[in-house]
Amino acid sequence: MEFAEKIKHFLDWLLGPVTFFLFSVIGFGAMIAFRGWWTRTPVALSLFGLSVVVFLLSMTDAQFRVIIEKPDNIPIVIMLCSIGFLLWLAFRKMAINDGLIEQGLPTIEARESKKRVMCWPDLIYSEFLIAILVTIALLWWAIEIKAPLEEPANPAVTPNPSKAPWYFLGLQEMLVYYDPWLAGVVFPTLIIGGLQAIPYIDMNTKGNGYFTFKERPFAITVYLFGFIVLWVLLIMLGTFLRGPNWSFFGFFEYWDIHKLTSLNNVNLSEYFWNTWLGMPLPENIFLRELPGFAVVIFYFAALPPILANTVFKRFFIECGFIRYNVMANLFLFMAALPIKMALRWLFNLKYIVGIPEWFFNI
Amino acid sequence: MALFKNLTETQIWKSIFRHKYPDNTRDQALAVLSNVFLHLHPIKVRKSGVRMSFTWCMGGVTFFLFLVETITGILLMFYFRPVVEYAFNDMKDLREVTPMGIMRELHRWGAHLMVITVWLHMLRVFLTGSYKPPREFNWNVGVILLVLTLLLSFTGYLLPWDQLAIWAVTVGTNMARATPLLGHEGPGAALLTLGDIPIITAGSDVRFGLLGGTVVGPATLMRFYVLHCVFIPMIAGVLMAVHFWRVRKDGGISGPL
Amino acid sequence: MASTTPPTRTANAQLTRRSFLESVSTGWFIFTAACIAGLSATARFFFPNDLFEPPTRFKIGLPENYAPNSVDENWKAKYRIWVVRDGEKIVILNATCTHLGCTPNWLLTEGKFKCPCHGSGFYRDGINFEGPAPRPLERFKLSLAADGQIEVDKSRKYQKELGQWNDPDSFLKIS
Repeated sequence: MEFAEKIKHFLDWLLGPVTFFLFSVIGFGAMIAFRGWWTRTPVALSLFGLSVVVFLLSMTDAQFRVIIEKPDNIPIVIMLCSIGFLLWLAFRKMAINDGLIEQGLPTIEARESKKRVMCWPDLIYSEFLIAILVTIALLWWAIEIKAPLEEPANPAVTPNPSKAPWYFLGLQEMLVYYDPWLAGVVFPTLIIGGLQAIPYIDMNTKGNGYFTFKERPFAITVYLFGFIVLWVLLIMLGTFLRGPNWSFFGFFEYWDIHKLTSLNNVNLSEYFWNTWLGMPLPENIFLRELPGFAVVIFYFAALPPILANTVFKRFFIECGFIRYNVMANLFLFMAALPIKMALRWLFNLKYIVGIPEWFFNI
Repeated sequence: MALFKNLTETQIWKSIFRHKYPDNTRDQALAVLSNVFLHLHPIKVRKSGVRMSFTWCMGGVTFFLFLVETITGILLMFYFRPVVEYAFNDMKDLREVTPMGIMRELHRWGAHLMVITVWLHMLRVFLTGSYKPPREFNWNVGVILLVLTLLLSFTGYLLPWDQLAIWAVTVGTNMARATPLLGHEGPGAALLTLGDIPIITAGSDVRFGLLGGTVVGPATLMRFYVLHCVFIPMIAGVLMAVHFWRVRKDGGISGPL
Repeated sequence: MASTTPPTRTANAQLTRRSFLESVSTGWFIFTAACIAGLSATARFFFPNDLFEPPTRFKIGLPENYAPNSVDENWKAKYRIWVVRDGEKIVILNATCTHLGCTPNWLLTEGKFKCPCHGSGFYRDGINFEGPAPRPLERFKLSLAADGQIEVDKSRKYQKELGQWNDPDSFLKIS
């Protein structure tokens, strides 16, 4: 028992906001790099078995059960399981197909794509079967677990913690690092616009209609990083690890309302003028925020051409000027979230540009 | 068997079904072609495209869940009144008193599931590169449908009128305050003035138009109800028709050329 | 018969290429303008003229009811305000977090307002010191009514970052 508590404490420590994100990124990199290894059936089965054991052992912990068994959190568990399984399926096919392509053989899909089958029964029967299975599963779920209903609405009392619907918790987590006009308006707009732009900026004609990684490594890595790390894992973090006052709590930690966390953050302007130059903040807003503006302008105006001449050289030649700039800016916006997170954790940085007078904070 | 044969020989049966039992290629083709619901499908499909390990069937499940949501949603409308005085109690009744009281559960869990299946469908389409030409436009329609799914779920979130509902929506819609230029706490909004009078205030910004008030109140409940039950489903329905139509026009479920 | 021009054509004899294009573009211009006007009018439909919301001017009792150096939460449920008395000065704080509009809680032992949504913290005077809130809590206008009660006007707000907290209407000095 003593030992189990120690492990729990260790895991709680491991799941701080910084370490959680760090391990997510490392895990993501490992998933991409060792895709040939972990997708092999024995390895995948062992990983699956291991996670089941860890999950079942964790269920013996009261605090863990409270979070997991909250009715509205069950879809997240379902989502995590199905994403795990489907990623395994996809990466396995990618690994197999990449091997086949290397040997000059047709992919799994290409072997069968010339052959046509009748829609009735080959497609319609499976659709019918799936519909029945989904209905049964949904009925069972609905009978088993009551949809929650809380206290009647009361504008004067905010529940603590107060969370957005679970599928927006990635956005809510973003709000910790960026102001609402960015995290709530600009970023969502760019996510939607960026998704819509994908087919028009991806000039790679390979990998259309079959699973492959080697033929489109950049596209898949960026998309999966956005979806898995910046969306799904942030949802998981926001649901399971954010407690009262939006403080961070490990899986096995009691949600103590009075948990103290120091959140004293400093603006870039204060770092620049007070700490580095040893001067008071200038009165003029533009002068005060000059270093911040310089950083932001450099990031969005100077980085794309620099990247075009270095790491993105091939993209620039393939895509042309407009496509490249759209791609580079979307990419930089996406990278802006982890960058700001890291700056917050490392330097307690609050705003790069901070002009609360005009609601203009970056 | 004889009875079944007699049944299929009647005028009523023949007036409905224009084909024989589909145990041969001709009648299988007719079964799909002569049925308004099935004719969304082509007659023949790629063998690789019907593999569940390829499609994950997530698009199909999403559409099926949309139907489930529509049916259970309409049933819930028979009992639910979107007025602040009644909404919460109607929900309580639906939960505790109404016969066959799992309609709300079906609706809520189905909605959660639908959000997940939309994401997984998108993941599959991306990983198989199925957004590439000629399917660029249909990917775009799909992205809009994804957004509509989230909006459907979000507008439905308010309707129980409990603490969870009102605060999730308060937090969510407060972001609209910060819309650049159009929200009263957004950057640039202070620049929009008529002489000395600001145009964008708490009583005139984009959030006010969305909520029908300065706080999440009775007007908001009504608005979200209409958006949830009529407006968004209607648009989503039209776009789904476009989406499915384009799947076929762009060459069916994708596969290597 | 085929060689004679139909009489109706003569009426259109002046229809040149230029005038045809002009009338077509005028027509399309009017059509587009009418569509935009119609859509804007429909958008206006969503901004109601009358609201069913609590009054913005109300009375909250005598100044003596509020103890020095205290935060009074009695009006939070009804009007969403705190009455903060700091020695001889009373201010009305808007109980709405400047981050995303949640209602913060007054933590007496820690002497701060703490927002449950994203963890913003404010000192008793309303100044933000932790968490994502970009600016201090807002203050409302208050004055002494003829009957000696404090009257609050929520339609006038004062923001520190705009230097409005020095405005004499934003606080009440008790002599």
